[in-house]
Amino acid sequence: MSFLRNLFSRKSVEHDLDEEVRAYVALLTDEKIRAGMSPEDARRAARIEVGGIEVIKDEVRDLRSGAVVEAALQDVRHALRLLRRSPGFAGLAVLTIGLGIGANSAIFSVVNGVVRKPLAYPESDRLMFITSQFPNIGFDKFWISPPEYFEFAAHNRMFSTVAAYTTGAMNLSEGDRPERVNTAFVTASMFDVLGVPPARGQVFSPEQDRPGADPVVLLSHEIWQRAFGGDPAIVGKPVMVQGRSRTVVGVMPPGFDLHDARAQLWLPLGLDPNAQNRGSHNFYLVGRLAREATPAQANAEIETMLKQWREWVPQGHVPNDSTHRLQAAPLRVEVVGNVGRALWVLQGAVVLVLLIACANVANLLLARAESRHKEFAVRTALGAGRGRILRQFVAEGVVLSGLGALFGLGLAFWGLKVLLAANQDSIPRASEITLDPLVLLFTTGVAVTTGIVFGLAPLLHVGHQAVTIAIKEGGARTTAAIGRNRVRRGLVVAEIALAVMLVIGAGLLIRTFANLTSVDAGFDPRSRVTFGLNLPFASYPDSQRVVQVITQLARDLAQVPGVERASAMQGLPPLRRVNANTVAIEGYTPAQGDPPANIDYFQTVTSGYFETMNIPITDGRGFEAGDAIGGPVVIVNEALVKRFYKGESPIGRRINPFLAGQNTPLFTIVGVTRDVKQGGLDAPAGTELYFNFEQLPRIVGFAPLQMNFVLQASPRLDALIPQVRRAVAAIDPALPIIQLRTMEDVIGDSLVRQRFLSQLLAVFAGVALLLAAIGTYGILSYMVTERNREIGIRLALGAGNRQVVRLVLRQGISLALAGIAVGVAGALVLSRITESLLYGVTPSDPLTFGTVAGVITLVAVAACVVPTRRAMRVDPLTAIRAD
Amino acid sequence: MPSQPANLLQGTLDLLILKALTLEELHGLGVSRRVEQITRGTFQVKPGSLFPALHRMSDAGWLVSSWGSSENNRRAKYYRLTPSGRRQLQSEVGQWKRIALAISIALEAT
Repeated sequence: MSFLRNLFSRKSVEHDLDEEVRAYVALLTDEKIRAGMSPEDARRAARIEVGGIEVIKDEVRDLRSGAVVEAALQDVRHALRLLRRSPGFAGLAVLTIGLGIGANSAIFSVVNGVVRKPLAYPESDRLMFITSQFPNIGFDKFWISPPEYFEFAAHNRMFSTVAAYTTGAMNLSEGDRPERVNTAFVTASMFDVLGVPPARGQVFSPEQDRPGADPVVLLSHEIWQRAFGGDPAIVGKPVMVQGRSRTVVGVMPPGFDLHDARAQLWLPLGLDPNAQNRGSHNFYLVGRLAREATPAQANAEIETMLKQWREWVPQGHVPNDSTHRLQAAPLRVEVVGNVGRALWVLQGAVVLVLLIACANVANLLLARAESRHKEFAVRTALGAGRGRILRQFVAEGVVLSGLGALFGLGLAFWGLKVLLAANQDSIPRASEITLDPLVLLFTTGVAVTTGIVFGLAPLLHVGHQAVTIAIKEGGARTTAAIGRNRVRRGLVVAEIALAVMLVIGAGLLIRTFANLTSVDAGFDPRSRVTFGLNLPFASYPDSQRVVQVITQLARDLAQVPGVERASAMQGLPPLRRVNANTVAIEGYTPAQGDPPANIDYFQTVTSGYFETMNIPITDGRGFEAGDAIGGPVVIVNEALVKRFYKGESPIGRRINPFLAGQNTPLFTIVGVTRDVKQGGLDAPAGTELYFNFEQLPRIVGFAPLQMNFVLQASPRLDALIPQVRRAVAAIDPALPIIQLRTMEDVIGDSLVRQRFLSQLLAVFAGVALLLAAIGTYGILSYMVTERNREIGIRLALGAGNRQVVRLVLRQGISLALAGIAVGVAGALVLSRITESLLYGVTPSDPLTFGTVAGVITLVAVAACVVPTRRAMRVDPLTAIRAD
Repeated sequence: MPSQPANLLQGTLDLLILKALTLEELHGLGVSRRVEQITRGTFQVKPGSLFPALHRMSDAGWLVSSWGSSENNRRAKYYRLTPSGRRQLQSEVGQWKRIALAISIALEAT
């Protein structure tokens, strides 16, 4: 096939053609000599008659079969050759585009996976998340109690099915080491609501979801694979969960989850429809909207239901339209939460980076086109068509952005992996994030567009009419350069402005993060190590025994070399869920219509706890060994004193926490502690009531089974791990150790989302700053080259180094100032968006704005250094003589 | 030689080149000169159109080329008609005659 031959034997075909045309010229010359011309004249006449040899060759090439492919290949090869000849330029351009495209692909992947993709359930748009609200005490997304769930399910008409659930963790004893697994307790209706069938076996039947039914369990695909080796006959077998044998009824398909619970076991809630535990707000509801029903209609119906509820339930506390409301929001909105906003901020940031990268590469290509002015003029004169030159420009742009996209894709792939590995728990739906085809399409689109845009940019300079000027001008560019300069200066100002906006955004979030890390959590996290322990009720039904085991372990741990103190607590600060307990406080009557007095956090601790955590007692005393056999006592925090005792000392006053229902005795307040952050470092501390672990079983008949140990210890964490394992195994080898880590890590983990956001933004801001600096450097060094002659004349006329420095610096700084002015204005507009992500800093924080302006100016000055030095080295003689 | 050589009609260049090559193989300049000769100087084929045409017709399989030496011992590339080139010439000649007839009828019509 001549097509293939032409393509593959291109070289010999080229050579052949060349020789053929030359032969033609020679023959023509001979002919003219024979006609009587002198050989010299004959040769000249023949050449004129033939015209441009290259043009002929070009036309033949264009005609040949496969010419289009070949020309494209040739353009690409040519572009590659040119780029190889200037590796600095090529490297910079590919790096710049790669950074822009890579960052965009990575973040777009996250945005796409988290925010854009529908949840992985059939018709997931119809799923709604239903919660309660207590406006008076500031609970916005609170739980719902079992009677409320049954009443809601019975009376609503907008939902086809409603289900309740709660999540937690339990011990799974399987294989050689017991492990802690995530659990979701759900009503049997949950699987109808979500619409996902099991991969094996069955989901729960309504009978299995009744109180007192035989215990069953559904496995997640992941735990089935990992803990049970994917046993194909698992359905019907018993497994030990939290010390109790449960029959496996089925296995859910891979990836099945609810609200990022990462549930590994699914268990039936077994709610009793006749129970009147109206105050046990413990569940969230998920409902599937009936066909034709809209979220707005669902909420309108809820509004009506709130007004009618009292008619259905004449006695007791019921939802109503003022103090105890219900609300429904799309499940997707709930799952994505405020991460959505953070992700869009990140997406905005990387788009800015990409814009800066584009401006930068356009600038690089412009500067390059400038220096190749002559090359193009000569090629045009030699007969290269306008289309031919245009094609080459585009080829260069596409090759650059193609290489950049390739590099960027690698960067995105790697970056996404690192990103997800480092932030597993802070990104919702993390398992659904992949570099998917849509992302690839997006990247390719960006690459091709940038390629064509960059490719065409130099055409602003090269027109046909410019050819003669360029050749005549040679290197001495004069007035024509001014117009081009304006474009390039505009690009640099835009780059700086975008960088300013980005750096300000990053600065605000970094300050937010810094503010959060310096928040006093209320205890000393240094040299403190913590881990959790969960005693299954099936093995530890006797609460006195629970106290013995925990206190014994605390004593054993305190004996480990390097451990000074060891105590245990029920809830681990600084990020706990509110447990909002109804209490009766002597001498405190709630205002009319308000719910009864409510305390945000109940905490149960062993006697030495306040010393181990270094939480100061500000009034009265801490718990003492004698409390184990003494009367019921509690310690309160300062927030509680402020809330219920108007700041007066509460020592000796009494509180009923209703721990054992109506038979609970009154607890006497013996001490006040400083506030400890429990609801997150960025939230107010909340009211807190401390119980003494050692005395609880004797007073109320039970003790918490889930406890967190805290050790004040000097050795490093990994040196402690085997010691802790040994101590726990000595007490009960079936108990898994839950999350052994330093208290500083616990605090760090509670800030993981803020850290994630500020770190990423800082990286992008750094890239933006670097790109803007490169852009500034580029235009300044170009200016120095261009004004070489002027500088030479100035030097010759007696200008000193200072004048030359001032000349360059004035250019650089005026660019920076213009960029800063535009950028600050832009940042003021944009920072309103980030407002909700900030803590302890206003969106127009003068310190951040000032610092950023200063940094950008410094960067601009730094970018001036090399061009300035080059300007100072200009030799007046060569500069004036050149060209 | 007429002072104003006529422009080649679209499509006639191939026909003329094929015709020029019916008698013997020729090199590029030879083809030019033969066309001039058989059209009595009405048509001149410039290298800018000659070479693309020769290469296009070679690609189509109507011509084959080989290197040889010219009358005054210059190396030159010679073109020769292939059987498919002869068939092409016949069909183009037939077509041309139809066109020519149609056009003269059209021009003589009143």
